[in-house]
Amino acid sequence: MKKTVDVSIPLGPMHPCWKEPVRLKCETAGERVLHTEVELGYMKKGIERIMRGRPWQEVMFLAERVCGICSVVHNMVFIEAMELISDIAVPPRAAYLRVVANELDRVASHILANFSYCYTIEHETLAMYLLNTRERVLDNLERLTGSRINTAYMIPGGVRFDLLPEDAATMLADLAKVEEELKRYVQIFESGPLIGLRSRGIGYMSREDAIRAHTVGPTARASGVEDCDLRLRHPTYRALGFEQVTRTEGDNFARVMLRFQEVFQSIDLIRKCVDTLPAGHIRGGGLCRAGEVSYSGEAPRGELTYTIKTDDFGRVLDIAIRTPSIMNIEACAHYMVVNATSIADVTSTFISSDPCIACNER
Amino acid sequence: MTGRCLYEKDLRPLKYNILTSTKHDATVRAIANRLGVSDAKLRRLLIQRLDMSLLENIETRWEMGLRYADDGDPLAKELGCELFSRFIPLLDQERMKEIYEETRALAQEIPFEGAIVRGKALIREAILS
Amino acid sequence: MSILQSIKNAVRSRSIHVSYIDVGSCNGCDIEVLACLAPRYDIEQYGIYVHNNPREADVLLVIGSVTPQWEDKLRNIWEKIPAPKAAIAIGNCPISGCVYARKGSLTTPPVKNYIPIAAEVPGCPPRPTEILSAILSVAPLIFKDYEEKQS
Repeated sequence: MKKTVDVSIPLGPMHPCWKEPVRLKCETAGERVLHTEVELGYMKKGIERIMRGRPWQEVMFLAERVCGICSVVHNMVFIEAMELISDIAVPPRAAYLRVVANELDRVASHILANFSYCYTIEHETLAMYLLNTRERVLDNLERLTGSRINTAYMIPGGVRFDLLPEDAATMLADLAKVEEELKRYVQIFESGPLIGLRSRGIGYMSREDAIRAHTVGPTARASGVEDCDLRLRHPTYRALGFEQVTRTEGDNFARVMLRFQEVFQSIDLIRKCVDTLPAGHIRGGGLCRAGEVSYSGEAPRGELTYTIKTDDFGRVLDIAIRTPSIMNIEACAHYMVVNATSIADVTSTFISSDPCIACNER
Repeated sequence: MTGRCLYEKDLRPLKYNILTSTKHDATVRAIANRLGVSDAKLRRLLIQRLDMSLLENIETRWEMGLRYADDGDPLAKELGCELFSRFIPLLDQERMKEIYEETRALAQEIPFEGAIVRGKALIREAILS
Repeated sequence: MSILQSIKNAVRSRSIHVSYIDVGSCNGCDIEVLACLAPRYDIEQYGIYVHNNPREADVLLVIGSVTPQWEDKLRNIWEKIPAPKAAIAIGNCPISGCVYARKGSLTTPPVKNYIPIAAEVPGCPPRPTEILSAILSVAPLIFKDYEEKQS
């Protein structure tokens, strides 16, 4: 299938806008992008191959090192899958604390994604504001779990650390500050005329394309796909009265704004969790047993699926991880970026789908 | 792309690594079964024609293709017209359309099942060429 | 020490251009390097500029154990950096491979085998302050009296 193109422009693997190495080869006619090819392999660590045959105690730490940005949710989905296999019940207090840790991680991840987008469209002031706000969120995550990035907070049958009342008060005060700051930044983002020019109507993806390409997470929700948030099916989130945020524009602006809206929603969820935190233990007991399960959870970027098979001693015999970035990057490269009017829009569109190469390649 | 350009590297071993994962391997076997070609041959074709992001996503694409491709047209669904030209782009859309037209003409003359078998053989031939 | 050299030393210690490269990690260290840019740590008040362009960099931050794609490219990138230069390994991965140095892994740590490493910051991931202090303590040491050492 030979094609004649004007220029083939490679972007990456080292690119000032990209946090991680990936290579996009854009075939262009003039500046219009006709076709893109993604070259990966820069982050392929073979983590599924390492996991095979290891006890769950080791796989737990490997699972959160699939991706450093959304490490809490990798931990959570793996542990909940193990609990599902072995019928381990979680104390209610631990279930609520898991939601707190997960939502803090989601807030940090969404703010980082929006930072990258603002940095890519060269609005450095807003980007730096956002990065500073993220530090405040990470402080609270550290106070709760003891670590900023790789927390290993959840274990089968509970969580490691309790939320002390004084920490809870500090967390709520900090989150109020974060919310106040973010309201200002959202207003800057919404009303900025140049931001509008770089974002509105660019990288459009229709609802049909989004469903057919099976995009997940904020990328799908910004294109108007309903009922694609797996938190709607999670028992703890249902008890908290979670509702999905959906936007219909389907462009870069919608994706970034949707993440901002989800941050506010997450802050509300944390507040509700801390206010109604049930008393009791944070760790139950349990024994990991043999079984096979496929379990999905909602990562900051979308649906994360772990398919695990274990033996009687809790060793992982076989594992397959399907991360949200696999679908989102593919849809971005083959639907959104095509027909972009300039190469500058390619980078910003690619970043707006919040690509995580470490997730994608594992 | 081997050795011709300064920055291009032979990606075949890396692409093969992607396909060795449990789910990907199962998907490749399912596709090979549907097309009636051997696993190894299909793997070689996939590595030649698809880029790395598509290979990582092949499992989801296959699932979505089975669910959404060619809704409402039994002949196209049996042949997998959109499935093999849009969801798993092994063939380009023009060639697929030609095969579809040819099979539809055949289906008027001989029974439906016979036409499907002939059409599938045409697709296999086109993919392997 | 000549006057010219002392001026160069003074300037170099307050103007360090940094490029970072991820050769296969979980990108936890990546975002910790990014967090250094935040006004809280304010990497630029020490005269450190993060460019992510190897051709104008002085210090290369290497993150991650080495994946197959980087085996040849890492050396290429190192050669593109103009002298005087230094490479700092961030996190456990470039030092030992961390959790990825197991049976079945596709990575080939340590980074030492590919490029010379001047300093190592262990941690999984290290804190932004540690990264910052590593850059600040290593770079002036390496760049001090560079021209005189050459001749």
